[in-house]
Amino acid sequence: MTNRTVQLQLGFGAFIAAIFLIFFAIPEWVASPSNVRNIILSPLFWPYTLAGFTALVGLGLIVAGLSGSNDPTPLNEPSADAPIALLRLLGMAAIMAGTMILLPRLGMVWTCMLAFAASAFLVRTRHPVAALICAVVVPLALYAFFAHVAGVAIPQGNIVRLP
Amino acid sequence: MSFVDSLLAGLALVGNVESFLALFGGVVIGVIGGAIPGMSATMAVALTLPFTFAMQPITGILLLLGVYKGGIFGGSIPAILIKTPGTPASSATILDGYPMAEKGEAGRALGMALWASCTADLISNLALIVFAGWLASFALNFGPPEFFTLILFSLTIIAGVSGDSLLRGALSALLGLLLATIGLDLVYGTNRFTFGDPNMMGGLNFIAVLIGLFAIPEVLAMAWHPTAHLGKTRSIGNKWVTFADYRRSFRSIVRGSMIGVFLGSIPGIGAAPAAFLSYSEARRRSKNKANFGKGEIEGVAASEAGNNGVAGATLIPLLALGVPGDVITAIIIGAFMIHGLQPGPMMFVLNVDIIYGLFMGLIVSSFFLFFVGSAAIRGFKYVADVPKRLLIPAVLVLCIYGVFAVNNNIFDVGVMFVMGWVGYLMMRFHIPAAPFLIAFILGPLLEDNFRQSMLMSGSDWMVLFRGPITWFFWSVTLITVVAIARAGVKSVRDHTASRGKKA
Repeated sequence: MTNRTVQLQLGFGAFIAAIFLIFFAIPEWVASPSNVRNIILSPLFWPYTLAGFTALVGLGLIVAGLSGSNDPTPLNEPSADAPIALLRLLGMAAIMAGTMILLPRLGMVWTCMLAFAASAFLVRTRHPVAALICAVVVPLALYAFFAHVAGVAIPQGNIVRLP
Repeated sequence: MSFVDSLLAGLALVGNVESFLALFGGVVIGVIGGAIPGMSATMAVALTLPFTFAMQPITGILLLLGVYKGGIFGGSIPAILIKTPGTPASSATILDGYPMAEKGEAGRALGMALWASCTADLISNLALIVFAGWLASFALNFGPPEFFTLILFSLTIIAGVSGDSLLRGALSALLGLLLATIGLDLVYGTNRFTFGDPNMMGGLNFIAVLIGLFAIPEVLAMAWHPTAHLGKTRSIGNKWVTFADYRRSFRSIVRGSMIGVFLGSIPGIGAAPAAFLSYSEARRRSKNKANFGKGEIEGVAASEAGNNGVAGATLIPLLALGVPGDVITAIIIGAFMIHGLQPGPMMFVLNVDIIYGLFMGLIVSSFFLFFVGSAAIRGFKYVADVPKRLLIPAVLVLCIYGVFAVNNNIFDVGVMFVMGWVGYLMMRFHIPAAPFLIAFILGPLLEDNFRQSMLMSGSDWMVLFRGPITWFFWSVTLITVVAIARAGVKSVRDHTASRGKKA
């Protein structure tokens, strides 16, 4: 992606998002009392103003993209193994989704142990044994601090409960 | 309360082992965090924040300030030894620091970086002590229209200078402002984008948003490119900095510190531009102009003085006006809020003991930085050897614990993950994250002051131009927009012209 492509993508994205906000999201999801006499004091005014400015900035980005130089230099460093890198990103998304699902069921400590080990292996750690040891020790140490020093009620889950 | 009373009240608050240990520990964490490439001072402060919840307010804030100070210096170590700035503020240090390391003078460059950092830090802290109280007493005259124009000016300058283009910065700030509208309306208490979920009625948790924006993208970047951090570490060498070197660079250090103080006290500019400006001024005025960029020790001194000169000065707008000067102070404002403190002019009236306690702690932090920095220079090898692919999963786990601990709410962990992806996309599309976060923090204040202004004037817009202070802020906002837009157009023209010549 060149600078120009990014500029245009951002411009169109911002403009479409602003239109969505103005014509659908704000009327649908922002409630306003019927007795507000002055639009400036209405809860709708600020979101509409911001959406309007977003549309203007979007148009500005489109104009800047169209009138700017067409420099072919890519904006980000190209990755040698882009499809595999994308798979790793999806893997990280799966780890995050799994964390959210498991947190209330397994508890924070066990879920974090799994998340640590999974992410360390996902990024192809060169120290697998150390990764496994850290996967156990780090969540336990954090549990000890937050539960026993800071007094935070860390979720324990339904399987194995810690003191 | 007289000055001596305030001083004694501050001393009573920080005059204990716990506070000094927190400050010292903070400097150690900051130097290590800043020295690990890809970690940055910002991330170190964000990850330390959850550990302050259980502390006394002053102890927690001193810990974070220690991390901040240590992190800015720590960034210079990998900049000099492996040509990778540990924190963006250290980018200018590479220009002369790395060539010195190539010549076997890394120890000399690092020593000068430390001496310049400590001197600049001390000057910056003194500037904070002198100017913050004065500015706060002036800001006591501010009403809602003045605060509205001040915040608007701050957001404009943050949006303008944070990234490559004003428009992308403005888009980032607008997205932050839009995100800040989530929750109950400030005046009528009606729902805005809450989707009927009680978790969203109080708005999105600030800590979840900031950790999501600044820590999780690094985890995702590591997933995208796991070996990006690998680099060759240069040896420190046998040459060490001498007092003669320091004396020769002293003018540049003081000038750089002043530049740092001036730019740092303007909300939004931050340490990196200060470092580059200080460097270019030192080069312009130096007798060894030709040696700059090839390993000139004065260049290292100037850039480090520039970025550390900012560290105390960014606290001037934070403490005196309640407006964070950069991303790190935006995180530190979170620590104030969590402990029920609201930075701003009223803090100099209601919590003067905390203010003076912080001042004393900051002065001591410069001396701690000197000792910790000296040890860190020699111990960098061990920090550089920490496997990044173990560190990043640990960061992920720490983020989960830290964000959960704010409200004991799993929903906040979800918010952090979502914001992490938003931050990662912003990184890929080169949208600066700083305006987003600062707009998210200042958004409710901006709207509140706007609506209060309208309420007090019966919706007369002229209240926003009611006196010299509002006129001043409108003028500087306009000047900022024009200057940044002109600079953007000029850079596009220059770029096009240079490409035309090449073709």
